[in-house]
Amino acid sequence: MTWDFLAGQFAQQFGLWWVIWPAILLGIVVGILPGFSPQNTLIMLLPLTLRVPVEQALAFMIALYCANHLAGGIPAILVRIPGSGGAAATTLDGYPMTKKGQAQQALVLCFTASVFGGLITTLATLALLPWLSKMGLYLRSVEMVVVMLFGLTLIAVIAAKDFLKGMIAGFFGLLLGVIGTDHIYNTPRATFGFLELYDGVPIVPALIGLFAISEALVMIEEKMIVTEEGRAKAVSAQWAGIIDGLRLTVKYWWQIVWTAFVGLFIGIVPGAGASIASFVAYQQSRLWSKHPEKFGTGIPEGVIAPESANNGVTSGTLVPTLALGVPGGSTAAVMMIVLQYHGLVMGPRLFVSNPEVAYGVFVSMAVAYIFMIFTILPLARYMSRIVLIETSYLAPVIVLVTIVAAFVERQYAFDMALALVFGVIGYIAQKTNYHVTAILIGVILGPLFEEYLVRALRLSEGHPSILFSSTLGNVLWGLLALSLLLPAWRGWRRSKQMAAEQFGD
Amino acid sequence: MTKESNNSGDASVANPSLGADLVIPALALAFAIYFFVDIADLAWEAKANGALIGTILVVLIVIQVARLGLQLARGEGRLGFDSLLGPREALPARLALVGITIAFVVALPWLGLTLTLFLSMAAALRAMGLKSWRKTLLISFIVAASAWGLFIALLETDMPHGPVEIALSKILGK
Repeated sequence: MTWDFLAGQFAQQFGLWWVIWPAILLGIVVGILPGFSPQNTLIMLLPLTLRVPVEQALAFMIALYCANHLAGGIPAILVRIPGSGGAAATTLDGYPMTKKGQAQQALVLCFTASVFGGLITTLATLALLPWLSKMGLYLRSVEMVVVMLFGLTLIAVIAAKDFLKGMIAGFFGLLLGVIGTDHIYNTPRATFGFLELYDGVPIVPALIGLFAISEALVMIEEKMIVTEEGRAKAVSAQWAGIIDGLRLTVKYWWQIVWTAFVGLFIGIVPGAGASIASFVAYQQSRLWSKHPEKFGTGIPEGVIAPESANNGVTSGTLVPTLALGVPGGSTAAVMMIVLQYHGLVMGPRLFVSNPEVAYGVFVSMAVAYIFMIFTILPLARYMSRIVLIETSYLAPVIVLVTIVAAFVERQYAFDMALALVFGVIGYIAQKTNYHVTAILIGVILGPLFEEYLVRALRLSEGHPSILFSSTLGNVLWGLLALSLLLPAWRGWRRSKQMAAEQFGD
Repeated sequence: MTKESNNSGDASVANPSLGADLVIPALALAFAIYFFVDIADLAWEAKANGALIGTILVVLIVIQVARLGLQLARGEGRLGFDSLLGPREALPARLALVGITIAFVVALPWLGLTLTLFLSMAAALRAMGLKSWRKTLLISFIVAASAWGLFIALLETDMPHGPVEIALSKILGK
């Protein structure tokens, strides 16, 4: 790969602006709606992508995929409804920022963190592709058990204010996540006799119910979703809000970089996705923050971390797809189908036989991110005005449109009813201070954790010592222990300091 | 998180109706019992993870019930559900929204997406207190037409078709 080759690739991709721009706009629209995952949208658009030349099909799919990842954060910030599982952690600080009248800044942070996080990791992938492709081979089920535990420790973080309630919510979610057939014998467990639950609890109806429907049922208690002060700020939203968001982006540039790499590394592992990446990034950001107690109250770091990691995943997912021929996720699998239809075989040979496609994928991604920032940034000012709509209009639209979206992913009417059930559970949880995010983390990560755990234990015929059998795994265990002990040590030090100050007084 | 975290710390102090706090544990416990019964005869690989999670959940619930019991014994609360159902003014609208959503899910296969969404939106907006029929019908039409445009015309999803979709497909020759 020479500089001339790269320059030619970039020039070619910029020339495809007429393909990239509509894909970005479509990706944003469908990304805002929970239920429209990028893979679903790409499957629906297969008749189009199979018909056009492979370069155009790739540029379209990549731009739509990246825009979809970015857009999930928009409803998470504005109305506390994550557009996808990867944006669930964004609600933790994004929505409180909206309530404080900082929706515009939160949106700008979401856009810039997503774009720069995605761009940095894409360029890093281009430069380090041969090494990164080997990384997936080192992260096996044993190591992934620990990575999943990193995500699950976020339950404990969220539960900090009422530990018992938070843990009950988290473990309730984890148990719901076990519903469905097991990973070894495919025997159904706790499915209530519904065939629709054999594949486990579908994430989209759970997400729609726990966040969208429950939030709509709660929001009707107030006329507006923002406070009077927040409303006044939203009414007078000026371009200065965007400038302020950009200033915060520069201020937290390092956090964008390192959380993006968290997303990249997790994305490389086939099967692990944006949800785990954003939860881990949020948890780690809080851990290493100088003011962890402010997380969850509406601070920029709480928006940057999950959004940057969420988009850092996009390039990581494609590494095993292109380098090994193993799809890193369901979206990558759909892209693989399109490429194979055009006669391209994934795997190491692709970089020799069709380097313009292999490297072109990442160049296309970088160009899509560049287009994206100019497309979406000016919209932040107008999007932030959604909070001015009265809840009597907003609640019916949220409930009815998102329940339709619950149908879209699997096309089962059952999923709409399931979303409503989760909506009622979410409503009860919200009203009684059991954290809905903790329930969702359990539902999302529970099945993944079980899959990796059972796979690892199966290798050792049930002996748990396998979990401590690899060097990388043991390093990760050490870091996990550090993640859990550090906050406790900080708390102990703070209380000691306070005691010393009191004694001094 | 705001709604929860802002008041989670002193929720039980500020709100004396502790019965509501038992609803999630009760649901979780009922599900855990069903889960244990259902997996009893399965191989260890199929039940190890769930059994561990379920056991921890049951222990947490027992502690929570004991905590609430102590609070009740000390007179710090009462077995009520006010915090779950309140504020009373919002209750009719909330119940109506749930009822309309159930009706929407039931009617969708027969009436199709567009008509069901239009009717449900109109009913929900009226239940939310919107007085103007003109506004109600206009908003319902915009939402239903947008849903038809996105889900059926653009993305061609397999949404249930009803009279509106059939008529439109004939008119548009699709």
